[in-house]
Amino acid sequence: MLALQYHRSIPAYALVRATGGHPSVATSDLSMLDLGDVPEPRPPGPGWMRVRPSVSGICGSDTAAITGHASLYLDPLTSYPFVPGHEIVGQLDDGTRVVVEPALGCRVRGLTPPCRHCAEGRIGLCENVTEGAVAVGLQTGYCASTGGGWGEVLVAHQSQLHAVPDRLPDEAAVLLEPFACCVHAALRGGASQGDVVVVQGAGTIGLLTVAAVRLFTPPRRLVVVAKYPFQREQAKRLGGDLIVGPDEVFQRVRFATQARRLDGLDRPLLLGGADVTFECTGSARGLNDAVRFTRSGGRLVVVGMPGEEKVDWGPIWQRELNVTGAYAYGTEMTGERTFDLAIAAAPDLALDNLTGPLFRLGDYRDAITYALQAGRLNAVKVAFDLRDLRA
Amino acid sequence: MGRPGAVIEVDRNTPPTLFHHGEGVRLERLPLGSRIVYAPDPMEPVAHPERAIRRALGHPLEDDPLRSLLRSGMKLTVAFDDLSLPLPPMAQPDVRQLVLEEVVEMAAEAGVEDVHLVAANSLHRRMTEDEIRHIVGDRIFSTFYPDQLYNHDAEDPEGNILIGRTSHGEEVTLSRRAIESDLVIYVNLTFVPMDGGHKSLATGLGSYRSVRAHHTAETLLNSRSYMHPPDSALHQSCIRQGQLIEDTVRCFHIETSVNNHSFPAVANFMQKRETDWTPADQASFLAIKQLTDLAPPGVKRAVFHSMRAPYGLTSVQAGQVDAVHDSTLDTVRRQMLVEVEGQTDIVTMGIPYVGPYNVNAILNPVLVVCMGLGYLFNLYRGKPVLRQGGVLIMAHPCRYEFDSVQHPSYIDFYDEVLADTRDPVDIEKKYEQCFAEDPWYRQLYRKSNAYHGVHPFYAWYWAAHALQHVGDVIVVGGQRAAVHHLGFKCASTLEDALEMAEQTVGRYPSITHLRLPPLFLADVK
Amino acid sequence: MKFELLSDIRAVRDGWRWGGIRPASWPEAGPAVPARASNLDWARQEPVRTLRWLIQRGLSAPFARAVTSLRVEGAEWLRDQKRPAILAANHVSHADTVVLLAALPDRAREQTVVGAAADYWYQRPMLGRLVGLWLNTFPFARTGGAQAVLHSSSQLLKSGWNLLIYAEGTRSIDGRLGKFLPGVGHLANETRSPVVPVHVQGTHRVMPKGRRYFLPAPVEVRFGKPLEARNGEGSRAFAQRVEDAVRALGDGSADREVMGTWIDRWRAAAPRTSRR
Repeated sequence: MLALQYHRSIPAYALVRATGGHPSVATSDLSMLDLGDVPEPRPPGPGWMRVRPSVSGICGSDTAAITGHASLYLDPLTSYPFVPGHEIVGQLDDGTRVVVEPALGCRVRGLTPPCRHCAEGRIGLCENVTEGAVAVGLQTGYCASTGGGWGEVLVAHQSQLHAVPDRLPDEAAVLLEPFACCVHAALRGGASQGDVVVVQGAGTIGLLTVAAVRLFTPPRRLVVVAKYPFQREQAKRLGGDLIVGPDEVFQRVRFATQARRLDGLDRPLLLGGADVTFECTGSARGLNDAVRFTRSGGRLVVVGMPGEEKVDWGPIWQRELNVTGAYAYGTEMTGERTFDLAIAAAPDLALDNLTGPLFRLGDYRDAITYALQAGRLNAVKVAFDLRDLRA
Repeated sequence: MGRPGAVIEVDRNTPPTLFHHGEGVRLERLPLGSRIVYAPDPMEPVAHPERAIRRALGHPLEDDPLRSLLRSGMKLTVAFDDLSLPLPPMAQPDVRQLVLEEVVEMAAEAGVEDVHLVAANSLHRRMTEDEIRHIVGDRIFSTFYPDQLYNHDAEDPEGNILIGRTSHGEEVTLSRRAIESDLVIYVNLTFVPMDGGHKSLATGLGSYRSVRAHHTAETLLNSRSYMHPPDSALHQSCIRQGQLIEDTVRCFHIETSVNNHSFPAVANFMQKRETDWTPADQASFLAIKQLTDLAPPGVKRAVFHSMRAPYGLTSVQAGQVDAVHDSTLDTVRRQMLVEVEGQTDIVTMGIPYVGPYNVNAILNPVLVVCMGLGYLFNLYRGKPVLRQGGVLIMAHPCRYEFDSVQHPSYIDFYDEVLADTRDPVDIEKKYEQCFAEDPWYRQLYRKSNAYHGVHPFYAWYWAAHALQHVGDVIVVGGQRAAVHHLGFKCASTLEDALEMAEQTVGRYPSITHLRLPPLFLADVK
Repeated sequence: MKFELLSDIRAVRDGWRWGGIRPASWPEAGPAVPARASNLDWARQEPVRTLRWLIQRGLSAPFARAVTSLRVEGAEWLRDQKRPAILAANHVSHADTVVLLAALPDRAREQTVVGAAADYWYQRPMLGRLVGLWLNTFPFARTGGAQAVLHSSSQLLKSGWNLLIYAEGTRSIDGRLGKFLPGVGHLANETRSPVVPVHVQGTHRVMPKGRRYFLPAPVEVRFGKPLEARNGEGSRAFAQRVEDAVRALGDGSADREVMGTWIDRWRAAAPRTSRR
């Protein structure tokens, strides 16, 4: 079958990093990516089914891995070679439209009793990711045994599959996985009605976090930091109260929270500030700003995947900030599965507005280059369209 | 006395007209048949200011000579106007310095130990040391600063006391120091007819509680205009407050007026009418135009704000406030009044680089509105020069630039409030309280040199009457995004602006250009 | 912004008809700005001030110091002035002013105006303008009109200018100190400014009365402790006191009334700790 594979190659990795992750090098023949004919993945046991992807999204974590910017922490948690792509809406053999929940927890791996996290329903934090029916991997799309979204066929355990309602088109359903991550983040953030919430960054994760916060934990005031005009429009539509640019974030947050502002040599800081901040850029600049405009004792939820970023820990220490990561999804405290919450909320959000150009798998070089500059090019989610691969 | 004010009609021989363009100058050709209104020539100043001051203090109007009011052991407070006037700032020695030195001399002779000199800056910003020194002079500064010479703090909870309510229910507060004094002397400079009289003490040493009684959108809509006190609801309210103050504290007012010699010799071409320009003036104009076209903004600002005007003292009177102020206003009107026959469809004006609220700072877009649609529009008596529904064309670069030290609340006003609504009544209802009570603005007002948090609102209300009166406002040479944010139209040249205006007022409109500064008061028949 | 010099010049040329006659339709020209006595204006405004700073700092002060091998005593009295002062000096030659200005500390020099005899220096307008530009002079009428002179001098002091005046009224012929005119006293009483006695010695060899060129010769300048008029002291009495002080400086006396105690001088010469 035709698939795009990611190989573990130290020289290729070194080359890509040396060029700073430039797209033309990172997607070239000398990189870790290879498009070709590979054997189909076989279902490792009963309860596993074949899925043919229709639309597969390109996520920030994928582009980080391709351009060598991902944290090396994730290397031991991955098995090579793997087919990337974990934002998958596809068809089963019998024609049912499904979306894949990529986390490979104890249930998927066929392990009993489940580890403590899987028992709580936090399958993203599974401790048994090295055991079981499939190879090492946190998710489908980082595992050598399962295949992934950027190929013709992949295999998934039935617990990973969710039916997609008819009124949700493929272009909207491909955003269900990131939306679920953001719903999980919003619930972890736990903003209350009197809070001022800042969502920093308005890419896919930022915009979906805005929607999730508005729906599940509506605050007193929702401030969104968005760089590009298309992002600003979407942020307003999805429920942001106040949309500001990255250069004015301190001034506008100061006004919204009636805080005091002190100007330092490198950056300002607020005495007071936002109650809950969702950091959705994963960049050093965003993190350093966020630790200074979140109020002392406030909560900083890191949603966007960061790499090895240089962050000043002084503010975190002095302001006694609660810095917490929000990764993946599972079963929330209310007992509902995150994906079910996402699927229920998605149809009203017109998410297909956010899905930008669709590329064929053969044009993966253009697709990845486009995804790396999505904001500037007025796009949010760039994806592969694999429907024409099905004969 | 020079020539009175004149209204000239533009014909083929008329030279081009000078337009101020913020920190810059331009020559524009107005269409044939337009009128240009010029201020009267500056009056001859008093030959011996110190003698005139001493005479006024020795023979006050409806009050006892100042010398007899001063005695050893009394508590004396001397309040004086801050640097929002005159504009441009006066060359040394400032008239207030001359008056204060005479007053302090008398106090020294009488043996008054407890003297405080307070800058009556109300909700304006605190002045820096250099600015205070410029007004009071080296001698007073080195003697009294900083314990006995300081800015009034309107947000000091202990220092401002409610003294009562007027018959209309307006609250009146006054600084504690003034209430506890045996005599309060006010040294005023009446630059335009809006200043002086009861307004001096009522606002100068008041606080937000007392000022908000009359600085409302409603009051300012009913002040047509506030440059002519009899027609001004603002002044009626100040008079009521002032009368209550008179009943509470013993006051002695000293008011001065100056002529309109507003520019130093190097910038004479800004003072003179275009038909009077000598070759030296023309050369001066060309040099300054090149400088302002090519120099970076910081340099231009420094050059313009360093200009000092050689004003001459035209009158000084002292005593009871009503009698004194009537006399002062007579002189001011004699200097400023110009007779203008009838209203026009279009009024054009160049907005200068400085207004009362940005001395040594930038004229930000909100202040452009305050100057153009506020102060300059309201310099009329009777009817505005512009007819109802007419078009006002202003020239100013109108850049999105704010002084972060002096105008922090202006930035938020522009970004947050104007993005929502531009109607003064709406703005007052929704946002004024939030800005007035913001603790950070309060801190910056009290400790730094920032205008009070509520001040941008007053700047906007100042334009309320004009916003209701005009049909359209076009800004020539402004930055498009900022001009649209203010709710106005933008044109690159004056010709384009006049063509755009025809959409509103019809073809072949009548045009009047107000050639100011130097300032004048249009008496429209 | 744009470079529009040529189109601006064209606009001005056409608008004001260079080389043509004044159109009849232009209203009658008026003085427009009040003609003030020319003792306060142009020489003390920009750009003349900057030009003078360049000339004095760069040219005339270093030159004067070199030609006269200048020695200065007592400059610390003028280093940190709180208020403008009247500098009362003896007058021996035309070189006095340049030398005295060179002797002053920089900040004091930039704020100093020199009283120059109106009937001598201002008779010819170009000469008047030249000394006005270079030395920051203003016309000081020696005869009649004392009130006007007093008034303009006090205006200058009130505007923050130090005033250097030659209180004898004319140059000394034999080098001995003449009688001081009482004007100094009147001025000090009117404005309550301190008076700094100044003595300059040796300029009668540099450029004596009658010779029009200068020759190098050593010069010494001494500044004394600033004097303030005592309560009730009359102008004449005060002027006499100033004259005595200048004479004492010239005699080289170390009288503490004149030179100040060493403690005063020590404090005056202290390093600056903060801006005034």
